[in-house]
Amino acid sequence: MRQLIRTGVLLIAFALGLSSPVAAQTSDDLFNPEVLQRIDLWLNDQDWAKLKAAFQENTYYPADMTWNGTTVYNVGIRSRGLGSRSSTKPGLRVDFDRYNGGQHFLGLKSLVLDNLTQDRTGIKETTAMRFFTRLGIIAPRETHTRLYVNGSYAGLYGLVESVDKTMMGRVFGSIGDNVQNDGYLFEYNYVLGSPWRFTYEGSALAPYKARFDIKTNETHAESAIWGPIEELVRLVNDTSSALFEQTIGPKLDLPAFVRYISAQNFIAQNDGFNGYDGMNNFFFYRLENSSKHVFIAWDEDVAFLQPDFGITTRNEDNVLTRKTLELPAYQSQYFSVLSEAAASASDWLRPEMQRQFDMIHNAMLEDTVKPYTNAEYAADRETLLAFPDARITYVRCEVAKQTGATRPSGCQ
Amino acid sequence: MTRASTFALILIALAAQPLFAQGKKDKDRRGFVWDDRPTIVFGKDVKVAVTGRALVEWRWFDPDIGEDLFALRAGRLGVKGELTKHVDWEIEREIGAGDPNKEDSRIEFGDWKDVFVRWRTYDAARVKAGRFKIPFGLEQNTGVSELDFAYRALGSQKIAPGRDTGVMVSGALGRLGYEAGIFDDDGDNAEFSENQFVEEGQDLAHVGPSYAVRVTGDLFRALGVDGRLRSANLGFAYTNADVPEGLNSLRGESFWGTEDFFERVYVKGRRQRFGAQFDWTPGPTSLRAEWMQSREQRKEQSNRNQDLSDFIGNAWYVAGTWFVTGEDKDNNIKIRRPLLKGGPGAIELAARYEQLGFASASKSGTAFTNPRADYLTPNTDSVFTFGVNWITSKWTRVIVNAIHEDFEDATRTPEPGTSSFWSGLVRLNIVF
Repeated sequence: MRQLIRTGVLLIAFALGLSSPVAAQTSDDLFNPEVLQRIDLWLNDQDWAKLKAAFQENTYYPADMTWNGTTVYNVGIRSRGLGSRSSTKPGLRVDFDRYNGGQHFLGLKSLVLDNLTQDRTGIKETTAMRFFTRLGIIAPRETHTRLYVNGSYAGLYGLVESVDKTMMGRVFGSIGDNVQNDGYLFEYNYVLGSPWRFTYEGSALAPYKARFDIKTNETHAESAIWGPIEELVRLVNDTSSALFEQTIGPKLDLPAFVRYISAQNFIAQNDGFNGYDGMNNFFFYRLENSSKHVFIAWDEDVAFLQPDFGITTRNEDNVLTRKTLELPAYQSQYFSVLSEAAASASDWLRPEMQRQFDMIHNAMLEDTVKPYTNAEYAADRETLLAFPDARITYVRCEVAKQTGATRPSGCQ
Repeated sequence: MTRASTFALILIALAAQPLFAQGKKDKDRRGFVWDDRPTIVFGKDVKVAVTGRALVEWRWFDPDIGEDLFALRAGRLGVKGELTKHVDWEIEREIGAGDPNKEDSRIEFGDWKDVFVRWRTYDAARVKAGRFKIPFGLEQNTGVSELDFAYRALGSQKIAPGRDTGVMVSGALGRLGYEAGIFDDDGDNAEFSENQFVEEGQDLAHVGPSYAVRVTGDLFRALGVDGRLRSANLGFAYTNADVPEGLNSLRGESFWGTEDFFERVYVKGRRQRFGAQFDWTPGPTSLRAEWMQSREQRKEQSNRNQDLSDFIGNAWYVAGTWFVTGEDKDNNIKIRRPLLKGGPGAIELAARYEQLGFASASKSGTAFTNPRADYLTPNTDSVFTFGVNWITSKWTRVIVNAIHEDFEDATRTPEPGTSSFWSGLVRLNIVF
């Protein structure tokens, strides 16, 4: 009998262990795009009022965060964003290690709660990043979450993986025991009133320092941080087509760059690398112990502008884009990736959009602090759902036109 | 040469005046006389004197923490006087020299310092009203011309309240001295430095009123002990104030004030200070020690609006001095061989060890630097100061100090990642 009881207790304990959310949880679970998450923030009433009142400042406030039954205590949160900053529905950055350098959550140092104020559909950012990932472009993991602050619903948010050392480790893996995340990570800083298209700005490092915010190795010498960027920009501007690949290739992953701008064009991102007001919205990473840089996608919430967004829009404006695509091999790759994107999107993009809309629908309707009405959401939703089919056709036709291939049916 | 430097040189020149004026005082004269300082005597027990001070410093730092290498640390001008034998008064204001690196730097008036009137008819009960130092802290209540080091200990600067506006009764009852007062706020050292957050319709809150009491006594003299121990003096002090909600706590600043090694935390409720002091000056030596603690309540200050454990500041120091030239350390140091009479002046060696640290009463769970954490990551600054004081006259002294700071938490220092810092200074004190 005693043996039976002991066995029973062990079985119950085992079952409890299996069902424990803590044991099973990983950051992949947190960013699982198939799940509408729920995140609770608990912070002092005064602090929440202060954060909303001073939403243009980057002041940190302490909070506790609960997800899926797990609470992480004393995290730091602050208002974030550029044009998306809001006093009623603040975009938030959550730093788990703000007040204790050793505190991580599911291996993460931080995450971003995107307030979705610039996207009345609520799914452009998450759809774009999933699509990039399908195409092998480095992009953060994302899903949606209901956010509750002190028990009250604070709106529908995008739950976004921070582009930081942790993500670099995930993306670039390890060589032996050495995680490849000790390179130099930069967030591109859009300087208001000073659009930049990769033109050389002189040998002084200040202009590059202003445009590339360093996120790792901040204490290193300025020459070590921004010197290679100055050199890259100079070489891109000064090198002839004949020497371009052999000169620039070791300093920039050119095939990855072309894949990135081509995919960004496919999703009709008007405020990206070849943006309407110069470059914008990306991270830039110099690999560990290397002089080679790569681009990392970021902030695509104004993508899907229109289906007939020109497939070579502003490619001539940006020095890096123009000089790279002057090389026949890269020009060919550019159109090839557009075709690949169209193929990838043909059986995936619209169903994915529909799935995400279904997932967030109630949360979006119940979000009373968003800066648009439910009617506006419904209208934009229908417009977005019409994008995939029209865009796929348009891109296929335009690529055929550009490359001299046979035009598919349906082209105008 | 900047205007600030010019001002410093003018004060140095002025300070030379009293050197030559020594011995000229005439207490029976009326009109302008030199009574340790420029004084106008209107009659018996009615006079007005001009007071002033300038502290000029040359400093060095290792590692460099971005501090200026020259500073007119504090300039003050004031007047003080007696109205009758029953009443005396004082008015003193800080003079700031603008940015010494700017060509157009100007000498500007700064904060009011002592501004008070005192009724002193009875030794057992003197009444003082106005702005003056709250009776907490031996060193904080010691005038700058009598300090043994260029700077007061960190606890005297950060935990002791300093000046405020209020009313105080003080006096001597046998071997016991007492001071008790009520003050508008809680002292300059506890003043808010950040803007308060108030929602529409709310008024700005302020600290206080605060209450302070200090009792001192010649312990060994009272016990009938004779000899060198007669000069030992022991004291205890206490303050109490209500602090409004916000980032209003006391804080730990590094020695040069370049960085908070413990930033303010959210508090609400009662702030108490407890202090004990010991002062002993046998012959040419002295031994001084103080301990003080602050305890601040944090009602409803957690992330979930619940009470947190008290925020506690602890500070103490032990300091010793020795006049190698043999002067008696008791009040009114009389230089045995004055500089102007061919002697070396008075030379004193000094050393002090001190600590100032902040932490929470709670020590359970994981510690955080979050200003709303129940268990706050502690940090303490431990400081050695070694000094030589060269007292050249009643009004002037040169202080040489070497200071070594060592922080418990290397991430919260003037240069994160570095835990130990050396600095030094040569200061010219001119006080009249």
